[in-house]
Amino acid sequence: MAIAFQVSAALRPFAGGRDRVEIGGSPSTVADALEALWILCPGLRDRILTEEGQIREHVNLFVGQENVRYTGGLATPIQAGTEISVFHAVSGG
Amino acid sequence: MEQLIGHYRVTGKIGEGGMGVVYRAHDEVLNRDVALKVLADTPLIESLGKDHLLHEARAGSALNHPNICTVYEVIDDEGTLYIAMELIEGKSLTALIGQTGLPVESVLRYGVQIAAALAHAHGRRVVHHDLKSANVVVTPDGLVKVLDFGLARRIPAEASADQTMTFRTPGSPGEVSGTLFYMPPEILRGEPGDARSDLWALGVVLYEAASGELPFRGKTAFEISSAILNEMPPPLPSRIPPGLWAIIQRSLAKQPSERYQQASEVKAALEAVESASITGAQPASQPTAYRTTVSRGTRQLRINNGDVLLMVGTTKGAFLLRSTSKRSRWEVAGPYFHGHGVYAMAYDDREGRHRLWASTSNYWGTFLRSSDDFGRTWTNPIEANVKFPVDCGTSLSNIWQILVGNQDGQVMYCGVEPAALFESRDSGGTWSLVRSLFDHPHRPRWTPGNGGLALHTILQDPVNPQRIYIAISAGGVYRSDDGGSTWNARNRGIRVVYQPEKYPEFGQCVHKIVLHRDRPERLFLQNHWGLYRSDDAGDNWQDIAGGVPSDFGFAMAMHPHDPDCVYVLPVESDEFRCTPDGRLRVFRTRNAGGSWEALSRGLPQKGAYETVLRDGMTVDTLQPAGVYFGTRSGQVFGSSDEGKTWKSVISGLPSIVCVKAVVIGEPRAARSESRRTRRPVRAKKKRAARGR
Repeated sequence: MAIAFQVSAALRPFAGGRDRVEIGGSPSTVADALEALWILCPGLRDRILTEEGQIREHVNLFVGQENVRYTGGLATPIQAGTEISVFHAVSGG
Repeated sequence: MEQLIGHYRVTGKIGEGGMGVVYRAHDEVLNRDVALKVLADTPLIESLGKDHLLHEARAGSALNHPNICTVYEVIDDEGTLYIAMELIEGKSLTALIGQTGLPVESVLRYGVQIAAALAHAHGRRVVHHDLKSANVVVTPDGLVKVLDFGLARRIPAEASADQTMTFRTPGSPGEVSGTLFYMPPEILRGEPGDARSDLWALGVVLYEAASGELPFRGKTAFEISSAILNEMPPPLPSRIPPGLWAIIQRSLAKQPSERYQQASEVKAALEAVESASITGAQPASQPTAYRTTVSRGTRQLRINNGDVLLMVGTTKGAFLLRSTSKRSRWEVAGPYFHGHGVYAMAYDDREGRHRLWASTSNYWGTFLRSSDDFGRTWTNPIEANVKFPVDCGTSLSNIWQILVGNQDGQVMYCGVEPAALFESRDSGGTWSLVRSLFDHPHRPRWTPGNGGLALHTILQDPVNPQRIYIAISAGGVYRSDDGGSTWNARNRGIRVVYQPEKYPEFGQCVHKIVLHRDRPERLFLQNHWGLYRSDDAGDNWQDIAGGVPSDFGFAMAMHPHDPDCVYVLPVESDEFRCTPDGRLRVFRTRNAGGSWEALSRGLPQKGAYETVLRDGMTVDTLQPAGVYFGTRSGQVFGSSDEGKTWKSVISGLPSIVCVKAVVIGEPRAARSESRRTRRPVRAKKKRAARGR
């Protein structure tokens, strides 16, 4: 089964107008999956990660139901069929 | 027709190129058909052709790749040169592309093969230098062959002008080779090309293959060259996947350093898009990620020459306000960039443009956006256009200032947080970090203020564009006299209150500096406590705060026609950053800080605890000058009589962080001239001197 990203509405213009992007290959970590995602949807990279390659402060990635900040960050392992969701955090003023 | 050249029997003519005629021939020894290229008989080719053809043959014969036309041998037959090469049956890519372009699958399949050919050649230090769709042939079974490494040279090349002459283009110092539509900016600028020049040409071919159109168009060589140097390619049709569009855009970066660095990278990226798939529950609704139409009920403006345009950036989006030169009623458009902080806006009217710039910042990062149609559409870059190189170990938080350079038609600057300066030499197409400032030994000791560590102000001397000032909170003022190559702190006389040393070399929390184009060596400065003037380009500063209720403040604006006239908007203190006594008052000096007068007619004088931030005040260039400011409470006030009387322009906006004013259709040079005509600057200076 393919690995899929679910992206929030603000990012859809950079995902071909879709809210769901499936990637090929067999990435073993979130970082690997993101690398595959950038190739398909390069506009997502600078919106999800900083120049230093860190997840933006107010962006959250979930593998299944778990926020990757608590499961190993970008090194969080994934397997076939994993769904990764991208949300912005509850923040702002 | 049948003629014997060496052991080749010529059987027919295939076609003609810029440098030679190509015949179909039969190799009598190896019993195979070949293509035989022979030097054409023209004066230009007579002068250039033999060496060139030899060069072509040598370069080509070094390459052995399934996607490169194989060169078999070179024959010198009594002074006439012939090249025997692989005979390829197929159609040129130009013919296949036609008017509408190829299916995406074909673009990717052919693109991968062209990139493979280039990767092979570049790996053997051979650059094509004339890649174009006409030089690519596709066989009936879909095999791509790149032809005519006819302008190829080895890397590093000996710059050999006579080797590369084919036609002249305006604006280039010499003559340049290749077909102009495919020519990269660096070649047009007279710089030596390298393998990345081929990657630009590949980007042009991919664009052409995807759309049937060339990315840079024009009726004359000048127009084409100008488009290549200055413009971004128009968006591709919606059927083109964003991944392919991104590859093309990166290949067409104006600066070679911003492109892919190797053909193998392009090949890998194309293969990845080719092998991947996007599935979605919803159909694509956005035509492209590159340029987005602002919608959601946003009202648009119709702008006429002579109108005044106010650009208002807030913490939740941008607004545009338009008025005639009377400035009595304002038409409002926006919000643009819902929910984004817009801390910097600018207007570029150089070279006939009407380009608005805005920096936008939210959860998803900070981007520079531009609009050439007064806000109807805004660019939405795929990649962040301003970002720190990876080795800097830091990431962009915000863009605080956008400066449109005042001399060269291409230069722009951005001041960002964390404090750094970025420069563009192609009108904002590409940006690079100014390393000399980033590597300044003072930088580790700059400290963030309440708003972060920001380089928020950039001034370019209007007479000497090599002189640039920047202001950092909290780092102080720095000046470069060599176009940004070196920087020196210029803070002598500026007091700090938050550390034991009161007059340090640097570290001041400068909130704003301004200068007047008619007297650029004089600067005014609003500090974190303190108002100052320098009469020697920042070498020394003197206190001019006598007469204001508080010398704490952020905003400062220079009168457009009077180099002695400055506006400030004091707030009570560091702790209570609101207008003193609940009275909203602008203070103006008309004698370069000798004295200050309160301007309050029409402004609320009771219960008005307002804050105007450092970019919240601006002026227009009309006569009499308009003065405007926006508050953190979302109100904009304006004066059309240089501050004597004020009116509310709009209220109810989100918290305002920047206000910029511009008069549309008034060329910069004309503005400058009209100012000098309208106001006798010298007489005014004498008056000011007497006043002090």
